[in-house]
Amino acid sequence: MNLDFSVIIKYLPFLLQGAGLTIELAVLGIAFGIFIGIIAALLKISHTPLRYVAHFYIWLVRGTPLLVQLFLIYFGLPQLGITLSAFASSVLGLGINSGAYLAEVFRGGIEAIPKGQTEASLSLGMGKFLTMRRIIFPQALRISIPSLGNQFIISLKDSSLCSVITMSELLQTSQRFASVTFGSLEFYTTAALLYLLMTTVISAVLRSLEWRLSKENRTRAC
Amino acid sequence: MELTKINEKSMINVNCLVKDFGNHRVINGINATVSPGEVVVLIGASGSGKSTFLRCLNGLEALTSGEILIDSVPLERNSKSLKEIRRQVGMVFQQFNLFPHLTVLENIIEAPIHVLNRPKSKAIKDAQELLSKVGLFDKQNCYPGTLSGGQGQRVAIARALAMQPKIMLFDEPTSALDPELVGEVLSVMKQLAEDGMTMVVVTHEMGFAKEVADRVIFIDEGRIVEEGSPTQIFGNPQETRTQTFLGRLSH
Repeated sequence: MNLDFSVIIKYLPFLLQGAGLTIELAVLGIAFGIFIGIIAALLKISHTPLRYVAHFYIWLVRGTPLLVQLFLIYFGLPQLGITLSAFASSVLGLGINSGAYLAEVFRGGIEAIPKGQTEASLSLGMGKFLTMRRIIFPQALRISIPSLGNQFIISLKDSSLCSVITMSELLQTSQRFASVTFGSLEFYTTAALLYLLMTTVISAVLRSLEWRLSKENRTRAC
Repeated sequence: MELTKINEKSMINVNCLVKDFGNHRVINGINATVSPGEVVVLIGASGSGKSTFLRCLNGLEALTSGEILIDSVPLERNSKSLKEIRRQVGMVFQQFNLFPHLTVLENIIEAPIHVLNRPKSKAIKDAQELLSKVGLFDKQNCYPGTLSGGQGQRVAIARALAMQPKIMLFDEPTSALDPELVGEVLSVMKQLAEDGMTMVVVTHEMGFAKEVADRVIFIDEGRIVEEGSPTQIFGNPQETRTQTFLGRLSH
């Protein structure tokens, strides 16, 4: 057995740089996914024909692998004259993918809010849109935070798939040095630990966010 | 039943109101008028249609047929008309339906700011006045989850009043409360009635009806069976169904 973790020290700055790109991809991807997810959730619960568009989007995206989606965006779209950089393709792919799952998360959150909330808001003269924006969605978002955090963690790990469309994120960087130094175990172990560190931090941040947003549930001395 | 004439002076006019839920006819031709400042109490067994009738008055339920005029303006099934009517008709629910993510004060200023475009400082001042009136000034920064049922319902009344409605609807406002908390809500409602508010109240509190109502309407199977002053209805009911209903209550 010839394990030599000292080699990691030398390349650590590059690995951290790769991890930085991983975080960037995950954050931008999930932000885009939240945006699409909210729209798709609202369309899905609307009584307009547009809800079928949302149904189709969710069905299509959840039913195909992210890797295939990334290939279609990065290698396929240029044939239609749409050429996106690897970075844009990655963010778009992660966004579209997480958006389909988040649409269901948000829909569940919205439907979990008691009907009386909508009735109270409408009876105060607030319109349907205002009711959704000010009363229902803020409550739905709070319920959705644990699932949202889960999707964030999934997206962060899924961003490793972007390595195959030339993104030098954490996995690809590790792969490069692993083959140069013949230190597969060392580099992939380090990559795994860095992923673990990132997901642990995300979990902790979300737990505190959840706790802070649930302040109305805590009994405060009034 | 004689068709109610549209009275120029009446605050609420209901003509031939019919409401179906699927194949089930919940309201079967109700005609009614409510004058400005009048307090009308609706009584009847559960499932008689009294709550549904109330919910029709601010458009929470769509009418199957018939007509409702609020201050001579017909209630129409489009969002503009509904919003306009709902600004003038406040509603208090059995389950309070306070917004749990907002503080007491935020609950009250929400609609004045976003619907009436009141400046925030003015909305807060008005809300604090209302909270003093219902005896909850010191609770303004609490969340609804920390309030007792009676306090919650008083906040809900203040929230509806903040829109300065012409009419207040109460849908069994004390039915979800512990018995010892009923009084504080009823006294706020009584005060409101004394201040001249037009009120339609669905309740099982016969004491409140006797004391505060100008008129009591007994509803059964989606129809008005009998209406009159509290003295008439409770003291000398004419219809057998009214007698039976009131008889069951006193046992």
